[in-house]
Amino acid sequence: MIKKFTKLALATGVSAAIALPASALAEIRIGIAGPMTGPVAQYGDMQFSGARMAIERINASGGVNGERLEAVEVDDVCDPKQAVTVANRLVNEGVSFVVGHLCSSSTQPASDIYEDEGILMITPASTSPGITERGYELVFRTIGLDSMQGPVAANHLISLDPQRVAVIHDKQQYGEGIATAVRDTLEESGVNVVMFEGITAGDKDFSSLVTKLKQADVDYVYYGGYHPELGLILRQARQADLDAVFMGPEGVGNNDINTIAGDAAEGLLVTLPPSFDEKEENQELVQAFKDKDEDPSGPFVLTSYTAVQLIADGIEQAGSTDPFEVAEALREGSFETPIGTVSYDEKGDMESFEFVVYEWHADGSKTPVN
Amino acid sequence: MQDLLYFCQQLINGLTIGSTYALIAIGYTMVYGIIGMINFAHGEIYMIGAYTALIAITGLATLGIAWLPLVLLVALICAVIVSSSMGWAVERVAYRPVRGRHRLIPLISAIGMSIFLQNYVHLSQGSRNIGFPALIDGGFQLGGDESFQLSISWIQITIFVTTFICMSALSVFISRSRIGRACRAVSQDLGMANLLGIDTNRIISATFVIGAALAAVAGLLLGMYYGSVDPLFGFIAGLKAFTAAVLGGIGSIPGAMLGGLILGIAEAMTSGYLSGEYKDVISFSLLILILLFKPTGLLGKPEVEKI
Repeated sequence: MIKKFTKLALATGVSAAIALPASALAEIRIGIAGPMTGPVAQYGDMQFSGARMAIERINASGGVNGERLEAVEVDDVCDPKQAVTVANRLVNEGVSFVVGHLCSSSTQPASDIYEDEGILMITPASTSPGITERGYELVFRTIGLDSMQGPVAANHLISLDPQRVAVIHDKQQYGEGIATAVRDTLEESGVNVVMFEGITAGDKDFSSLVTKLKQADVDYVYYGGYHPELGLILRQARQADLDAVFMGPEGVGNNDINTIAGDAAEGLLVTLPPSFDEKEENQELVQAFKDKDEDPSGPFVLTSYTAVQLIADGIEQAGSTDPFEVAEALREGSFETPIGTVSYDEKGDMESFEFVVYEWHADGSKTPVN
Repeated sequence: MQDLLYFCQQLINGLTIGSTYALIAIGYTMVYGIIGMINFAHGEIYMIGAYTALIAITGLATLGIAWLPLVLLVALICAVIVSSSMGWAVERVAYRPVRGRHRLIPLISAIGMSIFLQNYVHLSQGSRNIGFPALIDGGFQLGGDESFQLSISWIQITIFVTTFICMSALSVFISRSRIGRACRAVSQDLGMANLLGIDTNRIISATFVIGAALAAVAGLLLGMYYGSVDPLFGFIAGLKAFTAAVLGGIGSIPGAMLGGLILGIAEAMTSGYLSGEYKDVISFSLLILILLFKPTGLLGKPEVEKI
């Protein structure tokens, strides 16, 4: 009697155990990797906000081919070492798609792991050109490159007829990359670039740098890097009465620069992705963000939303969840997304992406400059 | 003329940052002088002082109080109280129980304390850079020609004056007061001081408290000067201050002051004449050179072997 029951119990147990993973397979797991903590966590907020909204909306309208999307969120603190750790964790969690990372210096090493393990990665914010130059099949972006952003910034500077320009960077992949792109474009046009120097990210004292800029008598300063350092440079420059106009890439376009620099942030020039949240077609989506008390105007919110949407569209187009087939579908197709019509070239870069020059104001608002 | 002005400006920058290194370095040097241990958590005490000052200033601002001397005084008192308590607590929790054991154990305990405090602030205050309001603004031009104006800001003057007052007060305290005398006695010979009836535990706690108080002052000053705080900036400052203390002769208070100033000026000059990228390289190379030629530091007393 007991033997019979034991066999029955065992059979039930085994079939239940087999059934459980089957129900887990009915979900598509998407990893979202970005800085939840650390100095640039504000940008991570934008990334997670956009991605979560996309997953919610796609699930609400029936999922992808009937399957739900599930997010696996990990924190890389915008640090390359941590990025590798969380990338390995995502691999172990069995995700096939990743939206991330945010910082170029994190995306580069993490993408090595994803390419090796056959995981499709779309970065909504990393602009360093090196990421798509390695011939990887599974790496895509929903943002432009610094090789486009640099010339946009430099051309704007050239149009202002600068006399002496200093180019400063933070020695990291993103900052130094874009600073080099700007300097090269400026020098090609014959602009007098009097300084090209690096500072260390995490430093707080820039008084010597500011003094040096004063002595070099510069009228424009281009800074490649993130807002914590530029905010301090602006503030210390204002204290030392340095009379120059500063310009930075999208890594500085953030309200926190106002809390650090105060009034000194007035007149800062920033190149940013266009304000997708102001487009007519996106108003319903923008309202959905506002209903959840979230701000859709950050530069990476809608690019992250688009990254998730492209994964979903790619799966539907390819008719399968195999990352390689989805990658093929993405490269061959053309998709309508909140950031416009997206089509990819061989390397995984979008065929077109505009950066716009804005003037930043002390109250955190920005106006486009023509 | 412009070159001279530029040199003077970088000198002023260097002295400013050097004074703050000196304030923090004193904490390291006093603790080493008394119990022969490097307090690696000291940089974090400085960071906590800065955060406390910021919280006090923000709190007063929401209450609508904006009169500058009052705000600064309250912020200073809050920062000193919290930092001193932290310094005292760190000593009781992490160092006293392991005192007298193998040298490595308090060292590792100190590093662990440092990481603990960093993460504690990270969890309670967030990891982002928080802006520090520029309470002391503006400055004045000291003169110059149209190509380069030598300028000094009020906050820089405040830093010089405050550091000078603190250093003088400390020197007077150590040389004239009873507790100061006891400190000197304990740093010369702990065992003997015990035998002579000095409560060495109290003196050691007092040392940590004094060091922490000075670090709190530095935290408030530097928070205002730089403009932002984050949980990790104490570590870097602590490392530089430790270097300054070793440079000047660890165990010697005038040495810490001298080492701080030298390090600050070296950094400013490297930044100004070479490139900001080499700032840290030169600072630490200087340390290595001094240690090669004078291992006890510039003002350090050589260890006399008592037979």
